[in-house]
Amino acid sequence: MDHLLPPEIVEAGRAFPQALAACGDLDALLRLKGAYVGREGSHAARLMDLLKAAPKEQKRDLGAAINGLKQQWEEGLKARQTELEAAKKNLNALASNWDPSLPPPVPARGALHPLNRLMDRLVEVFRPLGFHVEEGPEVETEAHNFDGLNIPEDHPAKASSDTFYLAAHPELLLRTHTSPVQVRTLLRVAPELAKRGGIRFLAPGRVYRKDEIDPTHSPMFHQVEGMLVGHDIGMQHLKGTLEYALRALFGPHTEIRLRPSYFPFVEPGCEVDVSCPLCDAKGCRVCKGSGWVEILGAGLLHPNVLTYAGIDPGEWSGWAFGMGVERMAMMLSQTPDLRLFFENDQRFLKAMGGLD
Amino acid sequence: MWIERKALAAEIPAAKALDTRQLCELLAALGFPVDGVASREGGDVLDVDITANRGDAMSHRGMAREVAAKLRQPLTPLAPPPVTEGAPKVEVRLESPACPLYATALLSLGKGTTPPEAQAFLRALESSPKCLPAVDASNELLLRYGHPTHAFDADRIRGAVSVRWAIAGEKLVTLDGVTRTLTAQDLVIADEAGPIALAGVMGGDGTKVTEATRRVLLESAWFDPKTVRATARRHSLHTDASHRFGRGADPAMAAVARDLLVDRLQAWAGATLEGAWTAGSLPAPVAPVRLPEALLACVAGEPLPLAEAAETLRRLGCTVDVHPSLLVIQPPTWRHDLTIPADMAEEVLRLRGYEHIPSVLPPLEGPPVPLAADYLQRQAVARRLAHLGFHQTVTYGFISPEADVAYAAAGNAPEGRTLVNPLGQEYSVMRGTLLSSLKAVAEQNLRQATREIRLFEVAPIYVSSSQGPMERFTLGLVWGGTLGGEDYLSPARPVREADLSGIARDLGLASAPQVRSLGEGLFGFETPVSELPPAGARIIPAFRPFSRFPAVERDLSLLVDLGQSYETLASAMRDALPADVLQDLRCVDVFRHKSLPEGRQAWLMRVRFQADRTLVGTEVDGWMATALAAAESLGAKLRA
Repeated sequence: MDHLLPPEIVEAGRAFPQALAACGDLDALLRLKGAYVGREGSHAARLMDLLKAAPKEQKRDLGAAINGLKQQWEEGLKARQTELEAAKKNLNALASNWDPSLPPPVPARGALHPLNRLMDRLVEVFRPLGFHVEEGPEVETEAHNFDGLNIPEDHPAKASSDTFYLAAHPELLLRTHTSPVQVRTLLRVAPELAKRGGIRFLAPGRVYRKDEIDPTHSPMFHQVEGMLVGHDIGMQHLKGTLEYALRALFGPHTEIRLRPSYFPFVEPGCEVDVSCPLCDAKGCRVCKGSGWVEILGAGLLHPNVLTYAGIDPGEWSGWAFGMGVERMAMMLSQTPDLRLFFENDQRFLKAMGGLD
Repeated sequence: MWIERKALAAEIPAAKALDTRQLCELLAALGFPVDGVASREGGDVLDVDITANRGDAMSHRGMAREVAAKLRQPLTPLAPPPVTEGAPKVEVRLESPACPLYATALLSLGKGTTPPEAQAFLRALESSPKCLPAVDASNELLLRYGHPTHAFDADRIRGAVSVRWAIAGEKLVTLDGVTRTLTAQDLVIADEAGPIALAGVMGGDGTKVTEATRRVLLESAWFDPKTVRATARRHSLHTDASHRFGRGADPAMAAVARDLLVDRLQAWAGATLEGAWTAGSLPAPVAPVRLPEALLACVAGEPLPLAEAAETLRRLGCTVDVHPSLLVIQPPTWRHDLTIPADMAEEVLRLRGYEHIPSVLPPLEGPPVPLAADYLQRQAVARRLAHLGFHQTVTYGFISPEADVAYAAAGNAPEGRTLVNPLGQEYSVMRGTLLSSLKAVAEQNLRQATREIRLFEVAPIYVSSSQGPMERFTLGLVWGGTLGGEDYLSPARPVREADLSGIARDLGLASAPQVRSLGEGLFGFETPVSELPPAGARIIPAFRPFSRFPAVERDLSLLVDLGQSYETLASAMRDALPADVLQDLRCVDVFRHKSLPEGRQAWLMRVRFQADRTLVGTEVDGWMATALAAAESLGAKLRA
C-alpha cells in the first residue's frame, strides 16, 4: 500500500522503531508521540487529512494502511512508555537505596596512654587480693625518699648527679622511686595497724632520675610499687602473690623465678623473672633465648624500714616489690624506643593505648 | 665485673667440670647474674653483675667462694710462702682510726718482667699490662683475690710514712696526672714532705713505680669503707681499689695479699726482700648475729632444721654455734653485709636455692580498703575523654621557664618550683600548667600532618608555697584542626572554642573554664580535677518526678545586635517565663549575613514547655509573647 502514501511518511514509518529506541526518557518519548500521533501536525494527522481527500475507491485500502501504521505507532509508544516508566521507578529506588559499603560516619575514637593502661591493669590484677591504691607526691623529702628506706647517708643515688633537687628547698627532691609511698603509708597507718589487720597496697606513679634522654633512658618514668605488712609474712607469701598476679597478667601457664638480689630496703631481696610471655619460654629475641624475662625487684621488708615507721619488726613483717612500667610496656609491645612513650604521637597513642 | 672462667675454676677444682653456661646459671641462682660472655685470650670471660653489698665477691676468689659453697666443694688453699716479719725499715705511723692495719714490705727489684700468662689474664679482664711487675702484680692480685695493694717507689719516699687525715688545702698529684686539692676528711698516705697517695683510692704521681724504680715499698692495708667512699665521691675518682675498699675489704687479707705480692715480685722481677712488717692490727670482730629458728621458718615459709642451716652458713665461712631454737653466728671477716638475723636467713635460703621457697597466698587479716574517690575520679575522667575521642598524653613534669610563664597562674612564682640541677634549662621548672606541654605535643602532631588534634593529660601541676611545691591534679585538654569531612555525611569544619566549652559541659564542670587560643587553630583549657563532679555517693541518685504529658516546642527567630550577650538575653527571657512550665530555652542557630540589617544577627531560639497537664495552644502563645517582649526590652526584634 506504500505507493498510496507520501514518500516522507513512508520514510517516517521506517524510521519509527529507531526513533522509539532512541527516546532515553519520558520527555523525549512525549515529543516523539506528538510528531507521530499528535492531534495536529503529526504524521497521523496528515494521513487523516490525506484519507479525507482520497478518491472513494482508494479509501478502503488507504484507510487500512493508515490504521495499520497508527496502531503500530501507538503500540510502540505505549510499550516504550511502560519501559521508561519502569526504568525511572528503578532509578528512584536506587537513589534512595543505602549502600552499606560506603564509609559511614564513625564516632571519634581516642585512647588511654599505654603506660596508664598498663598501670590500671596491674591495679585490677591485685584488687581481688585486697590491695588498694596509695599515692604520694612527686616532690618528696630526702627523709621519705632515702632515710626511711634504710638507704645509707652516703649512698651514691643521693648525689646531685643522680637525683633532682629543688633550688629553693634543699631538703626536697623529685622522688627517685615510688618507695617513699611505702614510708608515708606505713607512718600513717602505724598507730592503727593492729586494728586494720596489716596493710596491703599498690603505689603506681611517676618518678624521676637524672638520666639523659635516649632510647632506653628517660629522666621521668613510671613505677608500680606493691607492699604488704602482716603477721608472719615470709618469702612464700611474696612468691605466692607474684605468681598469682603475673599469671593473671600473662596467662595461667606463666612460671616465675626468684633470684637473690640486693636492695637496701629489703632483706632477703630478689629479682623476679617471668617465663617469656612472647614466646611461651621457647626462647626469642626479647628473652635473649633464655625463656625468662626480668620483670621486677622485691623482697621482705628490712626491719629498719618498719622501725623507721614506728612498727615493731618483732611483731610485723612484710614484703615489697617495685616494677618499671616502661620496661614492662616495652617488653610486651616490643617498642624499640622509650622516647615514643613521651612523644605522644596520636598514631602511637591510638595504636598502643586503646580504650578498654 | 669481668670474671675469667678458667681463673675461677683454678680456685675450685670442682668447677673445672662446669661449662660456661652451667657456671652462668649457677652464678645467677646465687645472686650474680651474668650480663654477657666474651671470648678473650683463648677462654670465656663472664660479665658478672655484682650488687653493691657484695664487695667480697668482686674477685675470682670471691666468686669461687660462692660457687664452692653452693657445690659443697673446697677451695684451693691460699698459701703463699710465708714472709717473716721483722723490724720496720721505714717507720709507718697510723694516725687515724680509718686505717687500723697496714702491712708492708721493702724489696729491691732485680731483672725480669710480667710473665705472659699474667699479661694474658690482665688483658682478658680489660686491664692492660704495664710490664712493670710491681704494678701488674698488684693489679693481678686485685682481680684474682680482691684485695687492693699498692707499690711505691721506695727511693722517692722521704722519711717516715704516716696514714693521716689530709690538711685542708694540701695538694696531691694522683697517678692520673690530676692535681687534687684535699680536705680534712680525705685520708692520705704521707711521707715527711706531704701526701703520697689518697688512701684506698689512688697512688700519687711523685712516688709511682717506673722503669727506673730500683726499690719498692708495698702497701696492703685496710681502710674504713665510708672514708674511702666519701673521698672517691669528693674527687670523682672511682677506681677498682676504691670500689673494693668502699664496699668493705677483708682485713684478714691484708697480710696475705702482701705476702702474695712479695712472692710474685720475687718470681717475676728477681726481687730481694729487705724487710716486711705490719703496723696496727686487725679491727675487732663484729658482734655475732643471733638467728632464731622461728624467724628462719617465717622467712623461709617452712621450718628448716637448724643443723642444716648451720652447715650452710659454715660453708660460707661463718662460725656457728647451734643452740636450742637459735643459731649464734659469727660472720667471716670478708662478709661486712651480714649484720642482722634476716641477712643470715637470706644466706640459708640463697644457698639452698630460691626455687625451694613454697608459693602461698598471704591470708587476709583485715577487710580490704576501697579505692580512693579522687583516684577513681581521675580514672573516670580519663576514660570519659578517651571515649569522647581524646588521646591521653604523658609528658614530663618539668618544662622551660618560658613555657611555664606562658600559661601558669600569675601568682604561682616559678622560683619555688625550680630545680637546682636540671638536665637543661628546658627541663628546669616543675610546671605550673599542663597547656604548654600539650601545646608542644599538639604542634609536633600537626607537623606530622595530623588532621585533627585531640589530646588530654591528667597530671599534677605544682603550686609554689613556703613548704615547697604543692601538687594539684589537673586536667588539660587541647583540641584543634579540622573536624569532620571524613565521610559523606559529616561536613568538614575547623574546631572552634565552642567545641571545647561543649567538652567542659559534658564533663560536668560547674563553671566554664577559660578556653585559650594556642595558635595554629589549636584551643585548650585546663581545670583542677577537684572542680570535676565527684563520683556520686549514692549508687543510684534519688528519684525526681518528671511529667508524662506532651511537651510543646516553639521557635522564635530574633534579630539582635551583633554585640548582644547571649547569656543576658537568654536569662531575661527565662526570667519572664513561668519556671514550672519552662523546660528549656536555647539558641539553636546563629545566622549572620549581609541580607540582614547592618549590625544585626539572627538567633533562632527554641523554647520547650511541659507541665503536669496538657498545655493549651493559647497559653503557649501568651508565654511566647511574654518571651518576645523580654527580648525586645533588650533591643531584639522578631525577624520577619
